[in-house]
Amino acid sequence: MERRSFLKGFGAVTACAALIPTITHAAEEAKKVTGPNEMSMESAIAAITGGKPVTPSSKVSLSAPEIAENGAVVPVKVSVESQMSANDYVKAIHLLATKNNNVRCANVYLTPANGEATFGTRIKLGSTQDVLAIAEMSNGTFLSAKQNVKVTIGGCG
Amino acid sequence: MKTLIKIKPNSYKVGDIVKVDFMAMHPMESGMRKDKDTGQIVPAHYINEVNFFFNDKVLTKMITWESLSVNPVLSISLKVSGAGTLKVLAKDNKGESVETSAAITPKG
Repeated sequence: MERRSFLKGFGAVTACAALIPTITHAAEEAKKVTGPNEMSMESAIAAITGGKPVTPSSKVSLSAPEIAENGAVVPVKVSVESQMSANDYVKAIHLLATKNNNVRCANVYLTPANGEATFGTRIKLGSTQDVLAIAEMSNGTFLSAKQNVKVTIGGCG
Repeated sequence: MKTLIKIKPNSYKVGDIVKVDFMAMHPMESGMRKDKDTGQIVPAHYINEVNFFFNDKVLTKMITWESLSVNPVLSISLKVSGAGTLKVLAKDNKGESVETSAAITPKG
């Protein structure tokens, strides 16, 4: 019986020893991974606008706190001045966090049935950065609004 | 995924614009966080599609990413055109989908 238990123990030890290199290897690999949907600011804007110019406008209002103590929960509200009639309405609101690994937060496609072009949510911010809202109007123009949010504790990690 | 629809204010008339809040209980993992116990990266798990329907007509479509906070709240406006049902379909990147509906009952 003693021999048997010894063998069992020995087996467990060798199994652990075999596992250790794989664990450290995985940790090294993990450092390289930067997120599954990583996208830069330029490519995200290009994907939204298709190369058309984006003009900052007072019609788009973005409200976010100037200082966010906790980057994991940052309330953001976007509203766009529009009649929301069948001919003149806001097609979409795109919310971007400029320094997150994946800058895209949400793409919201509205219809005239919404009545008002508003969108509110809570986002995660990794560090102090600008939050950008791009509004796509039904006539094909793109308007934007930007606000800087100071983050004391990052929300990623 | 537990979900909830809230409509504010409580009482409204035809023609009013109400605020629709859609809440979901979801971890919204970014795929970059490490588990403190195992040291392994927690795989990404987030809501990537939310569609709002009013009386089976598309009201709003959303594509969302992992940058939304844990247990996200998505709020939009709705112009009340009459009584009906508001249906919300939410999907996450692991294929789980949930359908929630709320009744729109204007008074007066």
